[in-house]
Amino acid sequence: MGHHNPDSPTHLKHYFHDVNQQYETSKFAMWAFILTEVLTFAGLFVAYIVYRSWYPDMFVDAHKLLDVNKGLMNTIVLITSSLTMALAIWAIQKNNKKLSVVMLVATFIFALVFLGIKYLEYTHKFEVGQLPGEFYSYMGPDAAHLNNPHIFFSIYFIMTGLHGLHVAIGMGLIAWLIYSTQKGNLTSEYYTPMEMIGIFWHLVDLIWIYLFPLFYLIG
Amino acid sequence: MSEHHITPLKTYLIIAASLLFLSGVTVWVSYIDLGSFNIVLAMFVATVKASLVAFFFMHLLWDDKKNLTMFLMSLMFFGIFVTITMLDTGFRGDLGLNPETKDPINKRAAFYDTLPLTDTHGHPVDEHHEDKDHH
Repeated sequence: MGHHNPDSPTHLKHYFHDVNQQYETSKFAMWAFILTEVLTFAGLFVAYIVYRSWYPDMFVDAHKLLDVNKGLMNTIVLITSSLTMALAIWAIQKNNKKLSVVMLVATFIFALVFLGIKYLEYTHKFEVGQLPGEFYSYMGPDAAHLNNPHIFFSIYFIMTGLHGLHVAIGMGLIAWLIYSTQKGNLTSEYYTPMEMIGIFWHLVDLIWIYLFPLFYLIG
Repeated sequence: MSEHHITPLKTYLIIAASLLFLSGVTVWVSYIDLGSFNIVLAMFVATVKASLVAFFFMHLLWDDKKNLTMFLMSLMFFGIFVTITMLDTGFRGDLGLNPETKDPINKRAAFYDTLPLTDTHGHPVDEHHEDKDHH
C-alpha cells in the first residue's frame, strides 16, 4: 500500500490497495447511484401507473396527440448513441484514442439531435396548449371528448422533462470525456470515468426504452 | 488493466441491431388491436430491450454479480412501491371514496371554464351534489 511507491500508477489513490480494487469500488458506487436513479424515476412510473389505472380511456385518447414518428426517431437516435458510447469505451480499451474521440463526438451529436427533436415536440405542445395541469388549454376536435387530459400531459412533461435533463447532463459529461481523452488523460490503462459515464448514458437509454411505449404506443 | 473484459465489436453491433429491430416490432404491434394484451406485449418487448442494454452495454453479464444484485434490488423496491400503492389507489372506489369522481382535480385547468366536469367515464358530474355522500 505504497503512498509514494514509484511503481504504482499515477491514477491510483493512496487509500486503495491496487488499481483493480479502485476500479471495482468505482463501479460498485456507480451502481449504487444507478439504484437511486431507478428509484427517482420509480416514483414517476408509479404516478403513471396509478393515473393510467384511474383514467384508462383518457390515456389511450390523449396519447394520440403525441407524434409517434418523432418518438420513434428519438428511440433510434438514443439506441445509436448507446452503441457509439459503447464503441468509445471499446476503442479506448484497444488504446485507439482517435476512434474513441470520434465515437464520443458522435454520441454527443446524437444527444443533441435527441434534444432537438424533443424541443420541436415541446414547442408544438406549448403553441397548442397541451400543457400540464392548469396550463392545459387545448380545445381541438380530437380532444373535446377527453376527460382530464391535462393529467396525461403533467405526467408526460415531468417524465420526459426529467429524462431530457439527464440527456443534457450526459452531454456535459461526454463533452468532458472528449476533452480528457483528447488530452490523453484517459488511456487503455485508465478509463474508469468513461466507463462510469457510459453506464449513466446507457441508463438514460434504458429509461427511454420504457417511456417510448408508455407514452407514444398505448393501445 | 489487462483483467478487464473487452467485449468483441461484433457483440455490440448485434445488440444494437437487435435493439433497433425490437423498436420496430414494438411500434408495429402497437397498431394491432390486442386489447389489454397490447400493454403486456409492449412491456415485454421493452424489458427484453432493457435487459440487452443492461447485460451487454452496461457489462452486467461480465461484471462482479454484486452490481447486478444492486440493480435488481432497485427493481425489487420499485415492485414493492407499485404493489403497495396500488393496494390503496386500486380499491378506493370500493369504499365510495373515488377521488376523481367525487372531486375532479381538473377545476383549475383553463379549458374546464368551457367544459362540463365529467367523471372517469366522461359522464357529466354535478358540481353542487358531488359532496352529498361525504362522510
